[in-house]
Amino acid sequence: MKRVLIGLFCTLTLALCYLVTSPTQAAYRVQRSSEAAGHIHLIPPDPGAEKWARLANFSGAAPFDAASLQSGANEGNEGTGGVGGTLLAFFQRMGDSSWSTGLHESRYAYDLIESVHVWALCLFFGLAVMFDFRLLGWTMKSVPVSEVARRLLPWTAVGFVGMVISGTLLFSAIPLRSYQNIFFRAKMIMLLLAGLNVWIFHSGVYRRVTTWDVDNVAPKAARVAGALSLILWVCIVLSGRMIAYNWFDCDRQPQPAIVNFLTSCVPTQAEH
Amino acid sequence: MSLLAFFQWCEASGIGETIRKSSWLFPVIEAIHLLGLGVIGGAVLVVDMRLLGLGLRRQSAAELTRDAQPWLVGSLVLMIITGGLLFLSEAIKCYYHDAFWFKMSCLFLAIVFTFTIQRKVIMTDESRLRPLWSKVVAVVSVLLWAGVGIGGRWIGFS
Repeated sequence: MKRVLIGLFCTLTLALCYLVTSPTQAAYRVQRSSEAAGHIHLIPPDPGAEKWARLANFSGAAPFDAASLQSGANEGNEGTGGVGGTLLAFFQRMGDSSWSTGLHESRYAYDLIESVHVWALCLFFGLAVMFDFRLLGWTMKSVPVSEVARRLLPWTAVGFVGMVISGTLLFSAIPLRSYQNIFFRAKMIMLLLAGLNVWIFHSGVYRRVTTWDVDNVAPKAARVAGALSLILWVCIVLSGRMIAYNWFDCDRQPQPAIVNFLTSCVPTQAEH
Repeated sequence: MSLLAFFQWCEASGIGETIRKSSWLFPVIEAIHLLGLGVIGGAVLVVDMRLLGLGLRRQSAAELTRDAQPWLVGSLVLMIITGGLLFLSEAIKCYYHDAFWFKMSCLFLAIVFTFTIQRKVIMTDESRLRPLWSKVVAVVSVLLWAGVGIGGRWIGFS
């Protein structure tokens, strides 16, 4: 079984590599979000939008323009932008790479990876939710919790690996825009919280599972963990879906100050 | 009324119009649609993996079906409602989109297959069934539902 899975995975990776590298015709670089995304449901930017670029500046020091970012990326930013600036420059370089452009512009690779992301979602989210339902006593009540955990959770791990791989690929196709997307940021934070929840559950109440394995109602800590996990994963899926929409993107201004703070957009002095 | 005329009527309907005009209604409905897909995925996989000899094995497939059934049917209803709303907002696009027809075919087959053949195989006493059959049934079921998922995703790509 394991070998079949590994074989499948290798074939898939190879096929993806082929798709990514072969059908790219366009040679020009696209990174400006307004042109960037054939895959994104773009709302036309406002006329005044040019005054805002997708730049981040966490420390609130002097804003820097796109040119300085691209040239002196590393040294220039550590002084002004701190961690945020360095990350931003890194993602900008990533977006300028041929890998990213190729993935973005290829005819099928992006769509296929997104399909894999959806399939992996069914495997991961579907089974994780089933486990949460079990903790909450909503399904499979006659099956011991430890049995469900032992038999189903390894499969959620498989699905999660698939999600992370395909998700990283999707991110690498549009890194800069995603990084400054409010939903993407929310999703990453909730992922951390969900991970924390898993850790707390497994190092806490689940250690004593033998004492409540077949109880009709699981202990409160387990039910809380299940409910939290359910809520977090639902919100993660929702915000993941919303990354595709550009309501709060940096190049759509004016935005409320709080949105620009959360997406770390700053006005630039670049002339257009 | 021809099929195209029906699709045009759907597109022109008030609900479709409302969803089209709003900038957030479509995304929100779509996101709920995606959640429904995830839950269907779980409910289908628990049973199909059992038939394949993976996942939960100590319970019979019939028991697991009884447990997963409400979630499958519930999220199926949710998906058909949200999917119908999404469809109303872009019926003409769907009419000319291969992925839409692919998805509808898969959906029809998946529903029929799940509630007839698969149900029958699951309810049959395991000792009287060749193990190969349940595996074939599980693979067909997974493929059909996966087709529904990917077809739906590709309606969004043009």
